[in-house]
Amino acid sequence: MQQFLTTALNGLTQGMIFAAFALALVLIWRSTRIVNFAQAPMAMITVYVALVIIDAGYSYWLGFAAALLSGLLLGAVVERVAIRPVEDKPHINAVILTLGLFIVLHALAAVIFGSRYRSFPAPFGLSGFKVGDMNIALTGFGVFSILAVLAVMLLLVLLFRFTNVGLMMRASAFNQEVARLLGVRVTRMLTQGWALAAMVGSLSGLLIAGGNLVHPAYMDSVVVFGFVAAVLGGLDSPIGAVVGGLILGLSLSFVSGYIGSEVVALAALVILMVVLLLRPGGLFSHAPARRV
Amino acid sequence: MRTWSRRVTVFTSVLTAGAVLAACGAGGRPDDSEGGSADVVGVTEDSIKIGAHFPLTGVAAPGYSEIPSGHKAYYEYVNANGGIHGRKIEFVVRDDAYNPTQTSQVTNELVLSDEIFAMVGGLGTPTHSAVVDFLNGEKVPDLFVSSGSLQWGDDVESKPYTFGWQPDYETEGKIVGQWVKQNMPDARVGLFLQDDDFGEDGEKGLRQYLDKQIVATERYTSGNTDVAPQIAALQAADVDVVLGFNTPSYTALTQLTAKKLNFDPKWFYSNVGSDPELVGSLLARFSEGAVKDGSSLLDGVLTTEYIPGVDTPDDPWMELWQQVWDEHGGDAKLTNYRVYGMSQAYTFVQALQAAGPNPTREGIVEAIEQAGTEFDGPALAPFRYSGDSHMGISGLRVSELKDGKADPLTPVLVTDIGDTPITEDNSGAGNDSPPEDGIPDPIS
Repeated sequence: MQQFLTTALNGLTQGMIFAAFALALVLIWRSTRIVNFAQAPMAMITVYVALVIIDAGYSYWLGFAAALLSGLLLGAVVERVAIRPVEDKPHINAVILTLGLFIVLHALAAVIFGSRYRSFPAPFGLSGFKVGDMNIALTGFGVFSILAVLAVMLLLVLLFRFTNVGLMMRASAFNQEVARLLGVRVTRMLTQGWALAAMVGSLSGLLIAGGNLVHPAYMDSVVVFGFVAAVLGGLDSPIGAVVGGLILGLSLSFVSGYIGSEVVALAALVILMVVLLLRPGGLFSHAPARRV
Repeated sequence: MRTWSRRVTVFTSVLTAGAVLAACGAGGRPDDSEGGSADVVGVTEDSIKIGAHFPLTGVAAPGYSEIPSGHKAYYEYVNANGGIHGRKIEFVVRDDAYNPTQTSQVTNELVLSDEIFAMVGGLGTPTHSAVVDFLNGEKVPDLFVSSGSLQWGDDVESKPYTFGWQPDYETEGKIVGQWVKQNMPDARVGLFLQDDDFGEDGEKGLRQYLDKQIVATERYTSGNTDVAPQIAALQAADVDVVLGFNTPSYTALTQLTAKKLNFDPKWFYSNVGSDPELVGSLLARFSEGAVKDGSSLLDGVLTTEYIPGVDTPDDPWMELWQQVWDEHGGDAKLTNYRVYGMSQAYTFVQALQAAGPNPTREGIVEAIEQAGTEFDGPALAPFRYSGDSHMGISGLRVSELKDGKADPLTPVLVTDIGDTPITEDNSGAGNDSPPEDGIPDPIS
């Protein structure tokens, strides 16, 4: 019973972390229609910014805020400098470009921050709660992660569904020319989309890093699982990303605990295949009714 | 017809020019034919070129990428003191990112284009496995692999040019297994193993003594940093002691996870995973949470030692390494990984001394087989090198960590793979100190 509970709670927190990353992917997909492979190293860079600030003796929350802010900035800069020149080319060009960015940012981080493991502090306790004899394998920071991800999801749903900006962002991603004709400043929307997505990416980076070890490649496994989570949910839906993350986190935790950690990656592949066989667009996709 | 003959003219003139140049070249470098080592790849009158593959980037780079800097510092120290038999040692490091495909590629470059005399200290079990046959096929000495897998030394016939260096994981497992059996006979034992040769060889040694006491065996895949399911399973099996054959970052991860699960067994970590300096610094950070001090979190953790490390700065070997590092290492701090690199480099210099003034590839292999057991070095136990075995250091001692320092619980124990009994080492290898000048003397 204890093992079951621990494994489930661990899957829950892991799933939320995948969800956070998937949310960033969904955001950029919704606002620009490309998949950003450089999301993870961009987030990693901002986490190092936070670490530098915290190491200099400032508070955790100052580092936290600085990371989010630098994420916002980095996203905008990357869009303006690297993505803008290929924006009117086929989408695949931009996607390949983000793969290139992935490698460059990795190398850059290793040069600037070093490639050794460093520990990243957490603002809350790292011991599990105890209820009688049962140990609840949730730490203060784990609870914080779950709440943060749910809040971001809610904000994104609100943004896309109920605000003008969200509508304009979706429009410019969907069809630039028509959006432009309707008076949407498309380039500004794209920059905003990148900036926001990079900020959510930073948040996921911070949540993974908290009370854990970081090094330039620390988010690489999350790239894969976060991507699977996003595709599970349908790439288009923030709620789908969170549900996808949870499904993946829980199943992988149980697979790892009861079958063996060597089949974790395989299990992720199987889950992805089954879902895509049954619902090719992902769990929360809209039926492509009006595609001609 | 005319163009054809013109082409021939051009062709022959190029050929002639080439031949003339080649002749000039041959005449202009008389050194090559003198000195008796003209035909040995990588060796000239005043230099010897060696190389290795290390992960300088990627997931395995933290820690491991420091080993070659230790090698380099020691070779520079030797070079500054005149080299070996008048030759300066040149060490070429190539990055394989701990990816076996890249290891093959960079090893090809090292052997075929850099033309190294020998590979020294190539790191990693999966990575080095990919090139060990190539090196032996090319008859390139493959000295002192940075890995404790059995395969570097237990089959001399199929890998005559390959030598291990650190104590193999089976030997370590046996010594730890015996200690646990003697000192905690009623304990329920759980294993936490890396899912490759490292964990497998260690388990083989442990099970020789603890087969009946082991109640749970959990494996983790390197790269998957979520070990909570494994630790939860160990907790569910109600184990009293966890024996871990894992890397340092997983030591920190298991400690953090155990805190989360309020799981408090006795911990043992193999030598690879226990570096108190590194793990302590990783955990110290979490003092903002409940842990007050990183190294105190590791208090009472059991581990093993086979060379002196940075926790014993007064050891004569450590004094030498510190001096070498201060002179040639640069600004970074001396770490146990760098000490490992220097200790390995010391063994290579010893082998080079033993190979005599005109080293050949076969010669150095023979020299290690003949004199290897007499190599005095930082190792606490002697090497096992012979014509039948290329296994490295023969033993280690069990220690307990206290305030970031290792406190020996046993004398140095030695054994070998298989059912060789464990005995106390009486060679005195643990009590020697380096020669005055810090460079090994030729063995007479």
